[in-house]
Amino acid sequence: MEKKLIRLDRVSKVFKVGEDNFTALHDVSLEIESGSFMSFVGPSGSGKTTLLNLIGGLDVPTRGNIFFKESGLSSMSRQQMAQYRRENIGFIFQTYNLLPVYSVYENVLFPLLLNGLKEKEVRDRVMDIVAKVGLSDQYKKRPSQLSGGQCQRVAIARALVKDPPLILADEPTANLDTENSLQILELMRDLNRQFKAAVVFSTHDEKVTRYVRREVNLEDGRILSDKNHLNGDS
Amino acid sequence: MNWDIARKNFYRQGLRAFLNVLVTALSIIALIFMLSLLNGFQAQSTRNLVTTDIGGGHYRSPGFDILAPTEWEDHTLIVPDQLMHLSDQEKAEVLVQQGQLYPNRRLYPVQIRGISMEQMLLQLPLDNLKKFRKEIDDVIPAVVGVKMARKAHLKKGDTLTLKWRDKSGAVDARDIFIVDVGDMINPRIDDGVVWLRLDHLRSMTDRKNEVSWVAVKNYVGPINEFDFQPVENLMADLLALLSQDRRNSKILWSILMILVCTSVFNTQVLNIFKRQKEIGTLMALGMDSNRIVRIFTLEGALAAIWALLVAFILGVPFFIWYQGVGFDVTHLSEASFPVRETIFPDYQPLEIFYSLTIVFVLVVLAAWLPVRKITRLDPTLALRGRAIK
Repeated sequence: MEKKLIRLDRVSKVFKVGEDNFTALHDVSLEIESGSFMSFVGPSGSGKTTLLNLIGGLDVPTRGNIFFKESGLSSMSRQQMAQYRRENIGFIFQTYNLLPVYSVYENVLFPLLLNGLKEKEVRDRVMDIVAKVGLSDQYKKRPSQLSGGQCQRVAIARALVKDPPLILADEPTANLDTENSLQILELMRDLNRQFKAAVVFSTHDEKVTRYVRREVNLEDGRILSDKNHLNGDS
Repeated sequence: MNWDIARKNFYRQGLRAFLNVLVTALSIIALIFMLSLLNGFQAQSTRNLVTTDIGGGHYRSPGFDILAPTEWEDHTLIVPDQLMHLSDQEKAEVLVQQGQLYPNRRLYPVQIRGISMEQMLLQLPLDNLKKFRKEIDDVIPAVVGVKMARKAHLKKGDTLTLKWRDKSGAVDARDIFIVDVGDMINPRIDDGVVWLRLDHLRSMTDRKNEVSWVAVKNYVGPINEFDFQPVENLMADLLALLSQDRRNSKILWSILMILVCTSVFNTQVLNIFKRQKEIGTLMALGMDSNRIVRIFTLEGALAAIWALLVAFILGVPFFIWYQGVGFDVTHLSEASFPVRETIFPDYQPLEIFYSLTIVFVLVVLAAWLPVRKITRLDPTLALRGRAIK
């Protein structure tokens, strides 16, 4: 039986927009298992990024609770939240968000240094994962010298290097062409198998939904459907 | 590790970091330059007044008022023994009388000022008067200042009539010969003043050994029948002017500091503003807020140190060069300020230290404040670049 990694219990998120309140999520409850490969799908404004941010500890819900392996995120201090992200979450962003002055190698190394590891201890591990994303010959380059697809590969390597139980990818293919998108999705699927980290996408890209094993459809902050694709892992 | 990250972040920003440093360094140079010029102006005007007129104070005939020319004749005294024995480096005897000059048949009221030729206390361009004998020949040798010469249309070599009254009140007149037009620096002793040898003026007015005042290097104690006017009294008008000027310079300093601060703050904050997403990424990667603040503050400190270094490298040769060239203030020397046509910066170490410290603290503060604000907000705002607008 798959272990529960994340549990959302009637989570709502309300944003203040000027004088008005905008409810991005309405009483959302769901569970994410370890090793899953799933996506939140929906149009713009459906609440998928908000959901990802809440699960990743980048934001806090207005109501409801989120549990990571049964530890409630709501009761965590800012420092504990930072530690939660540092140790358990790998983020992949639509705009890559690589550190611009660092090389590929240094970007991938960075999360490990944050976790208190020494460079000499993890050099091989970093180079290994850089190789896995196909950038061995580019490891000295800075993000500005790479293509969008290559940048996203670096972001994937950075997310995976600390071997987190959960990777959150916010529209990872939105800035990429079809060929690069497919390559990235295949790479992520392979790495999901290899690293056993749960991968959760937020997307409105149909290409992504063809790859995932589970698809949660959102609209106006509510879950419309939660489907398992038996062929998603093909 | 924080230092390593900060150092790497700073140096690898390349041109952006260099421009930030350059803006701060140039602001520092501009600030020191303006302040030093202002100091130089104030120092020069007081120094010039002291070296050309006041010395260390005046022993004056009681009631003498330089602004009351009709009473000058009533306020002369014989040089007392206590002052008589002072050396020429320590005193300058001065007799002031009123007279009328007739340049080009016009009447021009003047102050006739006789000064001992042996005195070495005051620095005056009267060397050409020294060549003449103590006794008056056919014409009386005289020196006028540049401004006086310009106003009265006089030049070296001119001969014109001077009228005065002697001790008994009898009016006398003779030709004077302009032996030199000197740069007096100090408008007080230039405009409307005709300089004569003291022995000549005494002889003309029949005032043997009499003076209006004796300028001394140092106060020598109370002297009967004489009032001692200290430097502060004698330059009260200038001090009042400078006190106003100092107030103005404080305002100017504040304005300059605000300008520098705004420029530095703007540059630094803009830099942080552009790096909001980077800060958001660091937060997403799990770096805790305090650490992010420490790293960016260290970066700010590094920028400040480099700015001071660049300001030193660029500023010192500039300041040394400028010390030789000076600043043209002909318009001020034409007015009532006792300054030469050129003023030279006066660098005040303490003032420079304060200014540098303020700029340094500000640069660090400009790094610390916005980052602190960003890290206290949701990481999602920083990731979207909307934490500070």
